[in-house]
Amino acid sequence: MKLLKIGISGVRGIVGETMTPELAIDFASAFGTFLDSERALIARDTRASGPMLQAAVSAALSSTGCEVLDLGVCPTPILQYLVRKLGAGGGVSITAGHNGAEWNALTFINREGTYLNEFQGADVLDLYHLEQFHKAPLEKVGRIHLLDDHQETYWEALARFLDLQAIRSAGFKVVIDPCNGAGAKFVDEFCRALGCELVAVNNEPTGFFPHDPEPRPRNAGEVSAIVKITGARAGFLLNSDVSRVSIVAEDGETLSEEYTLPLVAAYYLDKNPGPIITNPSASRMIEDVAARRQVRVIRTKVGQSHAIQSMLAEEAAMAGEGSGGVAVRGFQPAFDGFLTMGLILEMSAVREKTISGLVKDIPKYHIVKEKVYCPPFKVHSVVSEAKKLFRPEDLVLIDGIRAERIDGWVHIRASATEPMIRVVAENKSKEKAQEDVDRVLAFISQLI
Amino acid sequence: MTTKSHSLKVGVSGVRGVIGESLTPQLAARFASAFGTYVGRGKVVVAQDARPSGPMIKNAVIAGLLATGCQPVDIGIAPIPSVLVFTKESQSAGGVAVTASHNPPEWNGLKFLGPRGLYLNPSQVEEFLDIYHQGEFSFVLADKYKKMTAEPDPLAPHLTRLLKALDVAMIRERKFKVVADCCNGAGAVLMPGFLEALGCRTVLINARPDGAFVRDSEPVPENLTEICRSVVEKKADVGFAQDADADRLAIIDERGGPLGEELTLALAMKHVLAKTPGPVVVNISTTRAVDDVALAAGVPVYRTKIGEIHVVEEVLQRNAVIGGEGNGGVIWPRVHACRDSFSAAGLILEMMAASGKTISELRDEIPFYVVLKDKIEATSEEAHRIVGGLRRRYAGENIDTLDGLKIQFADSSVHLRPSNTEPVIRIMAEAKTRDEAARLVASFREDILRPKS
Repeated sequence: MKLLKIGISGVRGIVGETMTPELAIDFASAFGTFLDSERALIARDTRASGPMLQAAVSAALSSTGCEVLDLGVCPTPILQYLVRKLGAGGGVSITAGHNGAEWNALTFINREGTYLNEFQGADVLDLYHLEQFHKAPLEKVGRIHLLDDHQETYWEALARFLDLQAIRSAGFKVVIDPCNGAGAKFVDEFCRALGCELVAVNNEPTGFFPHDPEPRPRNAGEVSAIVKITGARAGFLLNSDVSRVSIVAEDGETLSEEYTLPLVAAYYLDKNPGPIITNPSASRMIEDVAARRQVRVIRTKVGQSHAIQSMLAEEAAMAGEGSGGVAVRGFQPAFDGFLTMGLILEMSAVREKTISGLVKDIPKYHIVKEKVYCPPFKVHSVVSEAKKLFRPEDLVLIDGIRAERIDGWVHIRASATEPMIRVVAENKSKEKAQEDVDRVLAFISQLI
Repeated sequence: MTTKSHSLKVGVSGVRGVIGESLTPQLAARFASAFGTYVGRGKVVVAQDARPSGPMIKNAVIAGLLATGCQPVDIGIAPIPSVLVFTKESQSAGGVAVTASHNPPEWNGLKFLGPRGLYLNPSQVEEFLDIYHQGEFSFVLADKYKKMTAEPDPLAPHLTRLLKALDVAMIRERKFKVVADCCNGAGAVLMPGFLEALGCRTVLINARPDGAFVRDSEPVPENLTEICRSVVEKKADVGFAQDADADRLAIIDERGGPLGEELTLALAMKHVLAKTPGPVVVNISTTRAVDDVALAAGVPVYRTKIGEIHVVEEVLQRNAVIGGEGNGGVIWPRVHACRDSFSAAGLILEMMAASGKTISELRDEIPFYVVLKDKIEATSEEAHRIVGGLRRRYAGENIDTLDGLKIQFADSSVHLRPSNTEPVIRIMAEAKTRDEAARLVASFREDILRPKS
């Protein structure tokens, strides 16, 4: 089975199998054609295949007449910020986020600095399928520049947005694990900007991932141990492009990535009340946080693009997902790991509470997440079949199927990035959540 | 008959196409992927000439090489002979040069180099093109990726070889004043340093390597008016004009007269044979003057098909002391078995220093022929059909069909040949007088165009 996922905001595949120079050039040519000869920024995470895709994307954008500003290794939220700041037509981030090192992907960013919306994504896909690439004549071929001195404007903006004085005077020590991804070295700048003392792990931009670049408790052992030893205020794990964060408390407890969004919301919504956007897979914790602040929770389809487009359309205060991605509309329409860490630290400083103290204020649920392989050509029909497992009146069909009951919920959906069906259940009781997931998995495996 | 021409050429000398039409990044990446598959995961030198589309195409090439597990060594803008020498000395598995030689600016292309710093020969090209056409490239998984490297001083191996091969002390003593026209091409990155090492007082024109071809890149007299004027104004001893990728050289005498690119090889050859007699190799089209020079030195001349690689292979096969082409391409194997405008310029300066004669005096010692060249547009299929027809018509004459059709008359000759790089038939006539050469060109032009009208 060759793995290739084409979505509205980009294309993702296994390098050497489906992710080839030609595929990247074709997609980037489609995107360059869509940009209509405007300026484009590109950035990559630290994966070994990054320079190959960077070269392919540069060539393609240039050939369609786009001037290319190459940020080199750079986290996606900084690229997204700079697209707006520099008035570019768009950008390409070369990163597979939380996927393993064998993957890579192109994510397309529009002039607003967000992932392409559905209509823009459909445009690019049409151009790709039609192979209607603009071929610039010689005098219009885009120049390719390296750009490595624009990050400072991002740190300045971040420092202005946060309560810098509160964070600085708290004099925090923090442990951060960027997983040798795009966040490596950038976390030094982050801590310098916020006046925190950094203890960094896996902070070399080598692209060698010592664990899956997925911020979640099972990868957090090292950070947890170091937090305890160093007496740090908090620990953070980042994915390979710094769009997702998971948190480790000062006592070394590795918090589920589900906590990131409700924790940030419990602070930010107090200052900036407004609706909050999330997907059908995220924990009910957010409903509790929102209810206490009398704001609405709006659930949309899974994925950064949907969450952000919905945040802009609903003029929501925030958007986020249970995987640790958080966006704040007042800062930028992007899942931004730096802002997320900054708000958690600010919250801890302003409220004068430890992370575990802040966590106590949020009702506890048990969430179980599993995934099962399913051939791409039948994922949606298999997911749809699973409706039979539930009472029709409990079903919400936003992205796959979600069954909502008093004590908990189950969400079943086709992964947008892998040939997998994801099954998530949440319940007050850990056993019941596991039971729900097991029942669904048993049903699905009969169908595959 | 239509004269539709194709803007893409794939052949023994690589790939050439027009930016915005046929030469896309997809095509370049596919060829690089095929080349990476062919040479097998080694170090591969990547270089470009000064054309503004160079970075775009070069990035596509680098993507193709990285994806097939090769380690690209990006040496930036470099003269083609420097690229070849560097490929050899760095013990690379091969090289890809992003260049379209003398083609107009909207063109670019890829040339493929083998491990010894030689262009792929025809059978290697066939193997390589088979891989390209089959389309099965050996893409590697992410854990097999190699890191790209850059080279701080990629021109050094070439420059060192040049200075070792030449009598630098003797040249330096003369403090020649030289006007050099680099055509804003790749030669501009080495010519100033090279001439400085030879103690020359140098006047540079068109020496920005930005690919703005202010003149047509072909170093033929009609494109050299600026340098001719400059040689006179600056009272220089000699003028040197390179083509855009710096493998060919035209010479301007101290009175501002272009010698004609045919004489570059004849002069360099005469000088080399005086120092080190031995066999010489030229292509079928090269001026008869080389036969006279070789005869005087008592050495044999071997002729080959057109195409640099054919001459180079024969040079190596015959252990020749010098070889080349009548288009200003001098191959001095002591530096490297490739056309090299720097070898040519160095030999001419050394010849002037050793003889104490001016360049026009040296020119006058070479038997005089007038060479006139012309070309007629024709698709490759038409070109072959037309030349084939003429071959039958002139079967009774003294003809040579090694490459196209060459007809030897008593004091003159004419050579007709479908080009490998452009959709044209090339006509070359050589005679003792301009009138006679012009008459030959006109008469064969008419022969070719007749069936068209």
